[in-house]
Amino acid sequence: MEWRARRIADPVARLHYLRHTVGDRTWWPEAEEGRSRVWMRRNRRALAWSLAALVLLPAGHWGARWTRLTGRAPVMAAEPAAEPRLSPVWLVEQQREFEWWSNGLRVERRYEVENEPRRYLAYLVGEEALEMGGTRSAPAGIVYHTTESQQTEFQEGNAGRLKYIGESLLAYVRQNRSYHYVIDRFGRVWRVVRETDAANHAGYSLWADGERAYLNLNRSFLGVSVEAQSRPEDGEAVATPAQVHALRLLTEMLRAKYEIGAANCVTHAQVSVNPSNFRIAYHTDWAAHFPYAEIGLPGNYEQPHPALALFGFSYDPALVESAGAPFRRGLLLGEDRLRQTATAQGLPAGQWRRDRQHHYRAMLKQLQARNEKTAQDAADHTSDE
Amino acid sequence: MSSKSEKSVIGLDIGTSRIVAAQRVGDEDQFNAQLNAFVTIPHSKFTENSLKRENVPHAVADGQILIYGNESARLADLLGHEIRRPMTRGVLNASEQQSLAQIAEIVKTTLPASTSGAKVCFSIPAPTLGHEENLTYHEATIRQLLEQLGFPEVRSVNEGVAVIYSELEDTNYTGIGVSCGGGLCNVALAYMSVPVLSFSVTKGGDFIDSSAAGVTGEMVNRIRLIKEESFRFNGNLGDKIMQALAVYYDDMIQAVVDGLRTTLSGSRHVPRFGRAVPLVLSGGGVLPEGFRERFEKALRAAALPVPVTEVRLARDPLNTTARGALIAALSE
Repeated sequence: MEWRARRIADPVARLHYLRHTVGDRTWWPEAEEGRSRVWMRRNRRALAWSLAALVLLPAGHWGARWTRLTGRAPVMAAEPAAEPRLSPVWLVEQQREFEWWSNGLRVERRYEVENEPRRYLAYLVGEEALEMGGTRSAPAGIVYHTTESQQTEFQEGNAGRLKYIGESLLAYVRQNRSYHYVIDRFGRVWRVVRETDAANHAGYSLWADGERAYLNLNRSFLGVSVEAQSRPEDGEAVATPAQVHALRLLTEMLRAKYEIGAANCVTHAQVSVNPSNFRIAYHTDWAAHFPYAEIGLPGNYEQPHPALALFGFSYDPALVESAGAPFRRGLLLGEDRLRQTATAQGLPAGQWRRDRQHHYRAMLKQLQARNEKTAQDAADHTSDE
Repeated sequence: MSSKSEKSVIGLDIGTSRIVAAQRVGDEDQFNAQLNAFVTIPHSKFTENSLKRENVPHAVADGQILIYGNESARLADLLGHEIRRPMTRGVLNASEQQSLAQIAEIVKTTLPASTSGAKVCFSIPAPTLGHEENLTYHEATIRQLLEQLGFPEVRSVNEGVAVIYSELEDTNYTGIGVSCGGGLCNVALAYMSVPVLSFSVTKGGDFIDSSAAGVTGEMVNRIRLIKEESFRFNGNLGDKIMQALAVYYDDMIQAVVDGLRTTLSGSRHVPRFGRAVPLVLSGGGVLPEGFRERFEKALRAAALPVPVTEVRLARDPLNTTARGALIAALSE
């Protein structure tokens, strides 16, 4: 962002860009503990009024009041558009080495490997609490990653080296069961971990659509990684045109095959969390510039961030620097959603946030216990055989 | 940001001692300043006619003539009166019953003709360190006043932040802005245009004037004129007035530096800048020769938690806040 701002020669235009990109102080330093004690002390009366207003005002009027109280209107989420019907994509030919799909997608299978079978818990998103939504085995979504692996310049003279680096990467991914799919720099789509199995791609993570929430997405979401590296100066990972094309075909195929909603196709930076400090975006790949439009998806960065909205996570101010404006809008929406729910519950936002965090910890503990039991059962089953 | 919008945008520095209006005409910023002060003299038809003839801003009320703006200081000096202020310590002066009407008159004299309907951004002070003052009344009242003067779109900007907007485009509006005015010294820290913290200290030009007057037995007006015309650091401190001025200037500098250190140390979430930031000095208080060096010395001795690359003077210290307010309005 800073780099971009520097390229704007006119000081007024530059300030306009920064003020509208970084935002105003009502949200940036504020992210939970981001408010200084001094600021809190000075503004405690205003804060008390804000909280009182949030609790007392009828829901229909709170937007206008909030504007007056904080100087920032609540960010309103766009109504989700009706999802267009997915075109069917069918398997045309399957060989040991490759698959060929009706939309032109070719999947290379030479590195395909199995892992733990996919079974996971989904949680129903309720008005007041998250309830168990049952055990499922079909993928619920897609998480897009970058490999952040060694790169060399993408030019004709480097073809051999590019292939060598790509295959070394595939061997590594296969060994670690890191992703379901890798798209190399020539746009070839490699299946690594089978779609029926879990892959180690998302670690501590969470996401939610309108109905269900998912924790630790290794088992519930497919991991698709683009062989690319984020640029240190602006965090942009530059995918080659062939990679973007392949991402589109692969996304079409997976969505059609498993009826995956567009809202559940998101990037690793969006889903990654750190439970130890309740901050999001522990991993930041594709925090900005993911080509949603080019691959036929809506701008999913702008969804209210579920970790903020449902589980009371916050974010590091540094994320504001590395993330794009749409992602920041998702953060604002998530934060506003949390406050709105707190108002509906008749609780101060801080108390509601702590409650949500406690709830997340309990869910995580339950999930970990369940996974350990599954692993133990599998080990017992193997030893019986 | 089109030329059309630039013509109808005004930045206003509503300070304790001066009101400055800024407007962009073409590529040039134009300023018009008036003292935020008035003086009263007994009414006579002859005086009133003279003032009319000379286009001196004035009003007649209760058998007295109120003379506003720049002329008030000259007349007060001639008549041996003290000037009166519609504002004190950065906010409306509660002991002046007609302060609002007086400010309205002064604001009108700073504005070019046919600016009605323009977008206006005016400066407001930051809360004073150690006090929980309610600035809401001041801000809301000035806003209302400007709306009544025919400006439908009125915004406000923190004075220290306005300094940053005016002077720190080279660091993407990251750094510390200090405005040493008549009533207060306002300080703000911003990161990429986002205000991180701000505060003010009640030691400004008026504090220096009245304190020096108190220890020398001179009139405040006279001290102010001497200060503005001939005071410089490392000058002739054998003179009692100069020596008193130096003492109270140092006191003001130390209050600002102490405030910065206290505020930065007390704030847990000042961003990790990853590099040192510049500090800009503006306002009438920074004009004496040697002020920048004196301030820098005090700052280095304080060892702030946020390292400072350089201490620089604003390009046009008396107009910096107004320019910053103008830029804030233009960048909306």
